[in-house]
Amino acid sequence: MKILIADDEALSRRLLEKTLERAGYEVIAVENGKQALEELQKLNGPRLALLDWVMPEFDGPAVCRAVRTRSEQAYVYMVLLTSKGSKEETVLGLESGADDYLTKPFNAEELRARLRVGERILLLEDRLVEAREHMRFRATHDQLTSLLNRGAIMDLVTRELHRSRREQKSTVILLGDVDHFKQVNDTLGHVIGDEVLIEIANRLLGSVRSYDFVGRYGGEEFIVVLNNCDPNFATGRAEEIRKSISNRPIQTAKGPLNLTISIGMLLSSEWGPRTIEEILHDVDAALYEAKAAGRNCLRVIHPPASEEPLAAPVPQAVRLRR
Amino acid sequence: MNSSKETQPEAAWNYAELLERVDNDQELLRELLTIFKEDFPRTMRSLESAVAASDLKNAARLSHTLKGMLSSLGATRAAQAASKIEELAFAGETVSLQGAFDALGCQTASLLPEIDAYMAEVRR
Repeated sequence: MKILIADDEALSRRLLEKTLERAGYEVIAVENGKQALEELQKLNGPRLALLDWVMPEFDGPAVCRAVRTRSEQAYVYMVLLTSKGSKEETVLGLESGADDYLTKPFNAEELRARLRVGERILLLEDRLVEAREHMRFRATHDQLTSLLNRGAIMDLVTRELHRSRREQKSTVILLGDVDHFKQVNDTLGHVIGDEVLIEIANRLLGSVRSYDFVGRYGGEEFIVVLNNCDPNFATGRAEEIRKSISNRPIQTAKGPLNLTISIGMLLSSEWGPRTIEEILHDVDAALYEAKAAGRNCLRVIHPPASEEPLAAPVPQAVRLRR
Repeated sequence: MNSSKETQPEAAWNYAELLERVDNDQELLRELLTIFKEDFPRTMRSLESAVAASDLKNAARLSHTLKGMLSSLGATRAAQAASKIEELAFAGETVSLQGAFDALGCQTASLLPEIDAYMAEVRR
């Protein structure tokens, strides 16, 4: 584990350095508070620090205060080294953000024990961060398929629509629904239904680029967002996605199943300033059309005729379809 | 039996304490003493000038540094003498500074010869 030592006095610094190296630490030794702060601000810098109280540039408490003002970086456990030892000084040191203090000259055994306390705190922080990340994933992803969940995909679609308007680029929104999925659940059971949903999620993910989004909108409904997608290629891309489901059977514990999806599609570039709810309502209408047309197909929703003229030119392919 | 150095009560530095602190690492001990032999006289000279010029800020800083290196070395009484100068400088007691510096000089007078003797001894 890396540890930073900041002490302007060469003899004490060398003694400290050697003592810590013997205890198995990877030691970074500096001679003033400014250098200490630089080391602590580095990416993957030391997370344990022994800071002498009295130093040129920044003193120990000043380094502590500076480190504590940043909130985004990992916690640094800081121990002040002091020859002072009065109660007022101790309080001042701890108030500046230090976790502990040691009186010089230090006892090697006590020093090591106190650093182990620091390591326990850091381990605790690591576990909390890990748990928080896990919770964050759970809060934004669907448990069954690990795709983005409805809330997360809605947030992303909203953001992408704003961006595509701002940058005059096109976002393509696809709403896909597994055809006759209810029959799978009813005849083969929910376990097989779940297997099907997981496989469909994987195929959808496999058929888009890394910067597109795939989310589970509800039961057997999926949203695919193709970011910055040329409208001339939108239909082709959507067809590829549809075929990624229909082109080969889905293997389940009860044998292979031939399944298909119906897709409703919308191009943001021809849609004007509508809310995400209105847009999804309209894509849903296109999906309904696809179902009514016999399923396993794609339908595109076009803007209502009353829509204001658009600032951005409508691409040729879209104009022809009207 | 202890060596003659440790039993002498008037020794300016506590060899046993320092040896314990370096985990009986003779090589590190020699390295630390070499650092000390270089830094200590230089810092003393600077402190002497600061005291002579009644420069309280530098007197406080330099006596603090001396206190640190002396206590690391195990020269407890000398470290206390340096600490006294630091206190006086903080309190602004310019008049007493010179006396306190002289006291530190007395406490540390035998230090360098002792260290030299020790280093000569271990080299053999």
